[in-house]
Amino acid sequence: MFRRKRKPSDFGAEIEAHIQHESERLREQGLSEEEARAAARRSFGNVMQAEERFYEFGRWLWWDYLRQDFRFGLRMLARNPGFTVTVVLTLALSIGANTAIFSIVNTLLLKSLPYAHPERMGTIYTRVTGPLGSDERHHVNGEQWELLRDNVPALISAVSGLRASGANLEAGSQVQYVHAGRISAHYLDVLAIHPIMGRNFSDAEDLPHGPKTTILSYGLWRNALGANPTIPGQTVLLKGEPYTVIGVLPEGAIIPLNADLYTALQPSRQGEGTGTNFEVITRLRDGVIWQEADAEINRAWSLRTQRYELENNPGAQVTYYSVPLQKGETATLRPQVLTLMLAAGFILLIACANLAGLTLVRVMRRTSEVATRLALGASRWQIRRQFWIENLLLALVGGAVSIGVGYLALRGLLLLLPEHFLHVAQVSLDGRVMGSTLAASLLASILFGMLPAIASGSVDLRSSMASRAVAGSGGLRLRQGLIAGEVALTVVLLAASGLLIRTLVHLETLPPGFNPNGVMTAKASLDEVRFHDAAAFRKLLAESTTAMQQIPGVQQSAVGLSLPYERTVITGDIAISDGKEAGQKATADVIYTTPDYFAALQIPVLAGRSFTEADGPDTQRVAIVNQKFARKFFHGANAVGHYVDKDTMIVGVVENVAMAPGIDPVAPLTGEETMYLPAAQMEARQLGLLHVWFQPSWIVRTSGPVEGLTGQMQRALASADPNLPFSGFFNMRDLLAKTLAIQRVEVALLSAMTALALLLSAVGIFALIANIVTQKTREIGIRLALGSSIRKAMIDIGRAGVGASALGLVLGLVLCSGALRAMRSVLYGVEVYDVPTILAVVLMLSVVTLLATTVPALRVARIDPAKTLREE
Amino acid sequence: MSTQETRERLELLQGTLDLLILRTLIFGSQHGQGIARAIQQTSEEELLVEHGALYPALQRLEERGWISAKWGTSSNNRKARFYSLTAAGRKQLVKETAKWKRLAAAIGRILGPAKEG
Repeated sequence: MFRRKRKPSDFGAEIEAHIQHESERLREQGLSEEEARAAARRSFGNVMQAEERFYEFGRWLWWDYLRQDFRFGLRMLARNPGFTVTVVLTLALSIGANTAIFSIVNTLLLKSLPYAHPERMGTIYTRVTGPLGSDERHHVNGEQWELLRDNVPALISAVSGLRASGANLEAGSQVQYVHAGRISAHYLDVLAIHPIMGRNFSDAEDLPHGPKTTILSYGLWRNALGANPTIPGQTVLLKGEPYTVIGVLPEGAIIPLNADLYTALQPSRQGEGTGTNFEVITRLRDGVIWQEADAEINRAWSLRTQRYELENNPGAQVTYYSVPLQKGETATLRPQVLTLMLAAGFILLIACANLAGLTLVRVMRRTSEVATRLALGASRWQIRRQFWIENLLLALVGGAVSIGVGYLALRGLLLLLPEHFLHVAQVSLDGRVMGSTLAASLLASILFGMLPAIASGSVDLRSSMASRAVAGSGGLRLRQGLIAGEVALTVVLLAASGLLIRTLVHLETLPPGFNPNGVMTAKASLDEVRFHDAAAFRKLLAESTTAMQQIPGVQQSAVGLSLPYERTVITGDIAISDGKEAGQKATADVIYTTPDYFAALQIPVLAGRSFTEADGPDTQRVAIVNQKFARKFFHGANAVGHYVDKDTMIVGVVENVAMAPGIDPVAPLTGEETMYLPAAQMEARQLGLLHVWFQPSWIVRTSGPVEGLTGQMQRALASADPNLPFSGFFNMRDLLAKTLAIQRVEVALLSAMTALALLLSAVGIFALIANIVTQKTREIGIRLALGSSIRKAMIDIGRAGVGASALGLVLGLVLCSGALRAMRSVLYGVEVYDVPTILAVVLMLSVVTLLATTVPALRVARIDPAKTLREE
Repeated sequence: MSTQETRERLELLQGTLDLLILRTLIFGSQHGQGIARAIQQTSEEELLVEHGALYPALQRLEERGWISAKWGTSSNNRKARFYSLTAAGRKQLVKETAKWKRLAAAIGRILGPAKEG
């Protein structure tokens, strides 16, 4: 119902009118002007009260009370700056951690992908049941791709290469190393991205041996091609060949396969299409539902001749189904991110436990205030409302500060992450993040305000008014419980980050199998027609390594398809030609190298010999295997002299080298079975394919720091081929850091949060003890006067904190036994139940507990028994 | 001096003021003081309307939509806030009147025939 609000002044005017009417009537009855007015007023009664009653009638009364409570709350908070600052800081740090982590969760998992109708975008998961079950996104081969493209009309499907690779682009007078992504026709249609100039790849351009065309990213077009507006239709020299530029992508376009420019993938069942080397994305066509698409996919792929999913898995069933693209793209990061979110949630709970303890003490201290207010007629609801409002105020201030904290934390966090790690344009604090921060603040205010509110409800008017004693002992148990709870959560975080730190230490100190110090490396792209000629390739390697060898200070120089810590090509069809496993097909990493590769990296040759200049294209085909290969396929017998692929003789066995995984999909670093081949014996056909995916590295080992080494390396390469740019220079430490980036970020974040949790727990214990000392000052004073020693009094006080912490530790360890099992997949070189980690947790917690108990307990020493007794 | 200060008058029963205000307004719009006077006169000075209670009651009735108010000029040329009965108020009056009559009759039956005194 519409109600017009009446102003109090209007009401006052009405009363004034009434009194005038009344006094006029009385005057008519013969009273004097003054008498009439006084009588009218008298008969009206209390004007003020009437006005008050009118006012209370208004609907805004509750608002007035609220404002009053808020003002009062602000005054109370301002009067206790220590308390206020402690609470606000605690909230700011804990909610800030949540804000930062949630903004990542939001960007990765919640926000829609930045494409039109993201809900119609997907990728395909493969569910295999049977002895070797799995349920994950698979890469597909050429046959799968063709069946998907031709027999699944419900979807617009597209594929891309697995990752962008290096390529040489001649722009102006300079050749530049760029990242080139290979995408099929309709890839950009699936993403619903339209070039700002030109067009997407056509079907004809995507056929094997189709016309050579390229689409440029906005950044490359601006920076390398001077934002030339007439570029579509022109040719650029890419990979040593003319490519027609057919389009330029919009600024800030986000492509899952991030690259500087794109060429048509031209997928087929041949070449790379024989293996699962393509990644699928799909878009559901209008008027179709996902179930129809999935049915079509299953029907289409049942026609396949080669069912690799079912190999070595008797009785297995396989089904395919679509999942949202976002889920597919973030599947590998999801567990990590959610773990961090859980840790952030723990932090918030710990903070709330602390604050509940603090506010509880505060409410206890205010018992007399509460009693006074009750005695003056305040209702319990009013008292309680006052406390809630103070908590709300604190939470809101804390929340506001936490946005700043979260922003800074997020910026720091993003600096930790490698570039293009998240596949999103930016991580921002958007409305949803702000909303979650507000929600976290409100939740916090409820969590830490609940106990004090309940406690204030039990204030007994008579006893509180009668004695000025502070209620305390009832709260102590409760506060100890809170401390135990937060310590338990801290223990879980400590153990989790301890395990991650141990994992990282294990990975970083893995025997690398080579000497990573004193090595400089650089990659160059050989994905050019001129290097498809094996002789030209050999000549390039020989001339460039010889030139580098001549740089003063350089001891060895070499070239290898891949470096330690990197991934390399995996071959699954190496035939073992003799020994016990004869006839078996070996799967192994394959790396071609120049003769000095092992010397340059100082990879120990354990048996046989290294490659030499004599291992040429026309001599005996040779190979070197690592120890793991030798163990697996020759059972520890000397592998030297055995044959693989019929005519290739193993001439040496070398130490295992830490590599990024190829075969094992999850381990960050492993030593997989590896076979090295002399670069000089590579065939043109192999080179063509390998160099599409991989860019070989030039390696030099120097005796000490060499001035201008990178420039000299570039000049040495130019002396062999003037049009070959290096991608940039890295030492082995850089490469290790890149490979372990995820682990490092995880350890850094979780450790930071654990430190915060530990700090909060320490603060909680500290506050508890300090408060007990304050409360028991009289009691302690009396006991000291009666002859108790300070030491004894301290121990007695400290017991409360140590006991709570010990209980928390036990609870935490129990929690750990269940919770940490979920971490198994991210641990390497360390078991879930790791004794050193648990000991470290116990030790750390004990030290922190003792410190947090002892420091405030020292105040006992300052208690003057005489003074206390006088007060008594 | 008028008699009103010497004579003991009846206090209004809880809830009856609203009914009396509505009833008074059935003869047309009136301002607050007029309503109070009318009630007192019609009751032959038996009922005292406490002026301090009148206005909150008017306010209440207005909020409920039973009466409406607007500023106007009274017979002696003074500004006053005039109240008039709304359709809902009229309905309410009928309802309340019936209820009151039943109540009064019932109480009357219990108390028996009145004696002069």
